[in-house]
Amino acid sequence: MNWQHGVTVRTMGLQMMSMKQNRQWRFGSWVGSMLSVCCAFAFILLGLTTATAEAASASTTTANMMSGTEGVLLAVLGQEPQRRGRRGSDDDADEASEDGTEKSGADEDEAVEEEEEEDPDTYLALTNATVYAMTGAVHRNVTVLCKNGKIHEIGTGVQVPDTAEILDVDGYRVYPGLIAVRSSGILGGGDPSDSSDVYSMNLTLALAAGITTANTGNLAAKLTYGTLEDMVQKRNLFESLRYSSRNPQGKKSVRDGLRKVRDHLRDVASYEEEKRDNPDAEKPDEKWITGEYAKYMRLIKGEAAAEVDANTVHELIDLCDLSEEFGIELVIRGAYEGWAVAPRLARANVSAIVTPRDTVNANPRSNRPSGSTIENAAILYEHGIRLTFMPVGSWFGSGTGISMGGLAGRDLQHLPMEAAFGVRGGLSGEAAMRGLTIDAARIMGIDDRVGTIEVGKDADFFVCDGDPLHYMTQSRWTIVNGRIAYDKDKESLFEHIRKGGDVDAPPPTDHWPRRLGQPW
Amino acid sequence: MSEIKRLTQIPVLVAAIGLGSACVAGSAFGSSGGDDVLVLKVGKILTMNADDDVINNGTIVVRGTTIAEIGKWGEVDVPAGADVIEMTDCWLVPGLVEAHNHTGGSMSDLHDYVYLTNPGLRTLDTVAPQTPDVEWAQSGGVTSALLIPGSGTNMSGFGTVVKFAGKSADEAVLKFPASIKIAQAGNPEGYWWGVGRMFMNYNLRATLEQAREYNAAWEQYESGQSETKPLFNPMWDDFRGLYRREFVASVHTQIYQVVMTTVDMLADKLAIRTVLDHSTFDGWKTARLVTEQGDILTMNGPRQFHFDRTQRKIHGNAARWWQSGIRRLGVNTDAPVIPQHELSYQGAMACWYGWTPYEALRGITRVSSEALMVDDRIGSIEVGKDADVCIWSGDPIDPRSTCWIMVINGDVVRDARDELRRF
Repeated sequence: MNWQHGVTVRTMGLQMMSMKQNRQWRFGSWVGSMLSVCCAFAFILLGLTTATAEAASASTTTANMMSGTEGVLLAVLGQEPQRRGRRGSDDDADEASEDGTEKSGADEDEAVEEEEEEDPDTYLALTNATVYAMTGAVHRNVTVLCKNGKIHEIGTGVQVPDTAEILDVDGYRVYPGLIAVRSSGILGGGDPSDSSDVYSMNLTLALAAGITTANTGNLAAKLTYGTLEDMVQKRNLFESLRYSSRNPQGKKSVRDGLRKVRDHLRDVASYEEEKRDNPDAEKPDEKWITGEYAKYMRLIKGEAAAEVDANTVHELIDLCDLSEEFGIELVIRGAYEGWAVAPRLARANVSAIVTPRDTVNANPRSNRPSGSTIENAAILYEHGIRLTFMPVGSWFGSGTGISMGGLAGRDLQHLPMEAAFGVRGGLSGEAAMRGLTIDAARIMGIDDRVGTIEVGKDADFFVCDGDPLHYMTQSRWTIVNGRIAYDKDKESLFEHIRKGGDVDAPPPTDHWPRRLGQPW
Repeated sequence: MSEIKRLTQIPVLVAAIGLGSACVAGSAFGSSGGDDVLVLKVGKILTMNADDDVINNGTIVVRGTTIAEIGKWGEVDVPAGADVIEMTDCWLVPGLVEAHNHTGGSMSDLHDYVYLTNPGLRTLDTVAPQTPDVEWAQSGGVTSALLIPGSGTNMSGFGTVVKFAGKSADEAVLKFPASIKIAQAGNPEGYWWGVGRMFMNYNLRATLEQAREYNAAWEQYESGQSETKPLFNPMWDDFRGLYRREFVASVHTQIYQVVMTTVDMLADKLAIRTVLDHSTFDGWKTARLVTEQGDILTMNGPRQFHFDRTQRKIHGNAARWWQSGIRRLGVNTDAPVIPQHELSYQGAMACWYGWTPYEALRGITRVSSEALMVDDRIGSIEVGKDADVCIWSGDPIDPRSTCWIMVINGDVVRDARDELRRF
C-alpha cells in the first residue's frame, strides 16, 4: 500500500468513502498523483496571477504559496469528512473490474457477510424536517433517520443513535432527489463507475440543481459526489427505437422484425405444447435472435420499454398502433403535438418525456391541429399519461447537459423550471413535482428505490429553501445515498447568493486582482 | 372510430382548460381603438411608475389608445357601454419592453456585412408585423421591442422600436431612429479575414467622428454661424439625432475591458447616450466607472450568469451590477438567442442568481423604456400613456404565470382564454 498517498488524503480532509479496498487505494493513488499535478499547476497559476496582479505579492515565500495551494485544493475538494467503513475485499474488486459487471447492492452485502464482518452502521438524521414525500403526504416537524444510505424511519419521537450525523433542516423543505431522465456530461461516458470524475464541477452543479439520479447512457446512476460506491442503480433502462415516417424503410423493418419475433414466440409455444405428446418435436431455431431481434424480444416480453422520439400527430398515432399491435411499452420523447391526440396516447398507455417550453409553429400545410402548446403537459397529464421533463436547451448546449455559457435556465441546472412552464400551461404543481421525482422513477423503472421519501427507499434528498418550482429556490443540501453530496455554504459556487436566506445579502469581496492568503 | 372525429373534439377540450384558470372570465371585449372605452378590473395593478405605486383591487379606464383613469374598484366610474374585462384574481402590468431584439423583422436581414462600420443601414425597412415571431412575443407579454441588426460588424445600422401590434409596418413603428447599433467587440472580429480591438476601436471612432462633424456642420449652418449649406448626405443624416441625444447607441459590449472602452469612447468622449446592451461576463466590474459617468443605462443579457474561474464562483450578472450600485438596470433576451417571449424568464433567472423580482420587472418595463427613450409613451401604467398593458395570472417574473390578455394602443390584441392552441 502506498501510505504516502493515504496520509496526504487524510490530511486533506478528503472523504475516503467505503470503496472496495483495492479500488480505494487505487483511487487514493490517483488522487495523490492528481494532487501533485494540481499543486504544480496551481503553483504556476498563482505565480501568474501574482505576476500580473501585484508585484508586491510576487515576493511571497514558497511556503505561503504552498499554503495557498492547499487552500485552493481544500476549497475544491474539501467537505467535512464523512467516514464510512470499507466494504468488500480485493478479490471482490478484481472480479468486478474483470468481468465488467456491477453486482447489485443486495448481492454485494451477502458476499460481504460471508467473507468478513459488517462495518458499523452509519446514520444520518434530518431533524425538524418538513418532508414533501411525493406520496401525497407532507410530514411536518419530523425526523428522517437514514441508515446505511436507506431511509430507516420517518416520524416524531424517532430515536437517533449517538453516532448519527445530525442535519437540522428547520426552515427548509425536504423533497426526494430530482431525477433527470436524460443527461449528458455530468457523469462519465460508458460505464460511469469506470469513467466518472466524482469531483467534477458538472456533477456538483447538477447536485446544486437538486438532481440525485440521472439517466446517463441508458443507465440510471446516482450523483455520488466523492465516491464511486453505489453509483450505478440500473442498467439498460430503455431499448431505443426509431420509427419515423422520414424513414419508411426503417419503419417497415421494425415491424417485420417484431412480427418475426412474435411469430417465433408463437412457434415456441406450439413446440412446448407439441413436446408433451411428441418427444421428437423440433425446437424452433433461436440462434438468429441477436442484435435487433434480441431487442425486439425484450420489448415484446415486456422486459424493457421502448424509448422513441416522436412529435407530430401522425408519428404519435403510428407509434400507438405499433405499441398496441405488439404490446410494447412506449416512452415517447418530445410529443409536442401530443395534446392533439392525447386520448389515443392514453389508450396506448404511453409515458412521455416532454419539454413544455417547446415552441413549434402550426404547420399551415397540415389539415389537422399542429404545433406546440404550453398546455401540452397539462393535457397529457389530464389524460393519465405519465410525464417527466427534459429542458429545452440553448444555443450553447442541449437541455440535457449543463452549460457554463451563461444562457441560464434552459438546461439541467434549472430542471424544475421546465416543469414550472408546464404549470404555466395548467399542470398542477403536484403533478409537475411528480414528474421530476416519482413519475420519472416509474418511467425509468427505478421507483422501487427512488422517487419518494418512504421507509426502505434510498436516502436521496433535495433540501431546498422554498417551492422547487419557484424561480428563486435553491438547494441548501443535496443528499445522495445518505451522504451530504452538496452543501451550498461549503461549496464556493453559489454560496454568496442570498447567503443565510437574505435577499439583500452583500456581494462577495472582489478578488481582482486576487491576493494570496485571502479567503475564497 | 375515425381519427377525424376525435380530432374535432380537441378544440373544445383545449378551450375548456383555458377557461378553467383561476381568473374569472369577463364580459365582452374587443374594442377597435378610436374613442371606444375599455375597462380593466383586476386584483392588483403594478403601475411601475416613478413612485412604484401598487394598487390592490384596481381598475383602469382606457379611452381610445391611452390610459384615461386609474384607481381602486369603486373609485373609478365605469362609463356606460364600456367594454369591461373583469379578472379579479389577476395582475395588471405594463407591457414588457425589450431593449434588444432581432425578431421584429425579417431574420434574413439581420446581418449586412458590407463594411466594418455601416452607418447608412437601418432596420426600419425590415419591420414585419403579424409574423409567428410576433405572436410568440405576445404570448410572453412583450408589447414593444427595439429591433436592431446583428453584431457582425462594429456598426450595423439604426434600430427601430416596434410594437407587437398593427397590420402594417407603419402601424407597428413607435420610434425611428431609436438607436444606432454598435458592436464594440466580441463578434465583429470575424469580419473579412479578421480584425482586432485596436483597429475596430480606431475605425468605429473614425466613423462616429465623421458623423459628428456632419452634424456640427449642419448645426453651424442652422444657427447662422456658417453661411455654407452642407451637402445633404443620407448616410450621415440620421446621426444628427444621436448627437442631439434624441436616441441612444445600443452597444453590444461585454467583458470589463471592452465596457471600459464603451464608457470612455462613446459616453464620455463622444457624449452619446449609451446603453450597455450585453454588459455580461465580468462587465459589472466597471460599475464604478458607469456610476461616475452618470447617464449610462445597463441592459444585461442574454447571459445571466458568469463563471469566475479565479474565485470559482458563479455570479449573477444583473445581481452584481445591482449590488455594485447600478440602479438603471434591466435585462434583455437578444431574441432569438433567448426567445422573445422569455423576456420575463430572463428576469426570473437574474433573480435565481441573486437579483430581486420587483427590480427585475421594473428592468423590463420602465427602465427598458427609459433606455430606449420612449418612457413618455410606454413602460408604466400612468394616465396619458399608451394603453399597452397585460393581464397576468400573477407575478409576471414567475414562469408559472400566464399572460392572459394583451392590450396594445387600447385594443385587445390577444386573449389567451380564446386560443385553441395557447402559446
